[in-house]
Amino acid sequence: MHAFTLSELEKYDGKNGRRAYIGYKGRVYDVTDSFLWKNGVHQALHQAGKDLTREIKNAPHGEEFLKKFPIVGYLLDDKH
Amino acid sequence: MAKVAREMVERAGIDVDKLVELLIKNAAAELTTYYYYTILRANLVGLEGETIKEIAEVARIEDRNHFEALVPRIYELGGKLPDDMKEFHDVSACPPAKLPENPDAKSILKVLVEAERCAVRGYTQICNMTAGKDHRTYDLALAILNEEIEHESWFSEFLGEGPSGHFMRRGETSPFVSKFLK
Repeated sequence: MHAFTLSELEKYDGKNGRRAYIGYKGRVYDVTDSFLWKNGVHQALHQAGKDLTREIKNAPHGEEFLKKFPIVGYLLDDKH
Repeated sequence: MAKVAREMVERAGIDVDKLVELLIKNAAAELTTYYYYTILRANLVGLEGETIKEIAEVARIEDRNHFEALVPRIYELGGKLPDDMKEFHDVSACPPAKLPENPDAKSILKVLVEAERCAVRGYTQICNMTAGKDHRTYDLALAILNEEIEHESWFSEFLGEGPSGHFMRRGETSPFVSKFLK
């Protein structure tokens, strides 16, 4: 499984045909095919290519929504 | 655009462009749901289907009312609906409530309840963003949220998820949102 740095994750922003990946609790999920992540943006407030661990705490849903998306790697912390 | 109305919201610390985008996405969800519910309603047939048809129809009409109620606020805040209906469909805050394959009453109910749950999440988000900051949008989102919660409850009960304490409408629609439609 691929290890992503935060700067590498930023490349998967869902724009211009690029894939949309998001980080959550050390895992990287592929949300490209989701109706709710078109162009790498979710509900006008959340952007793909980022670690969204903190943002999900304020979302009107829990982490159970991520279960349906494939995991494509894991996230290295900033010191790597 | 209501210039000062927008300015007040901006000064309260809200990113108005993002809020408007969110309102447009939820307006799209309401209108597309109205469309898809028309198809779901038509397929609610037979002994079980006919039992649910009445509340599906009320939810359908109220979702259209929600669309109508959201539109003025979008324009007041300087936004506009997309010129292209297809684009509008695709920015919806909720996935299409499409008729399931081999539809029966239970599979249609699952589509209905998921659509309502998506709406409940969406308006909760808008209420959280606007509480104490944008009174008019908050009031509108809360009114819609009250109705969406009732819709969810109706369908949830039919799925056997337990009693909700809610009852069907008695000849009226949109008891919470109607004040925005006058």
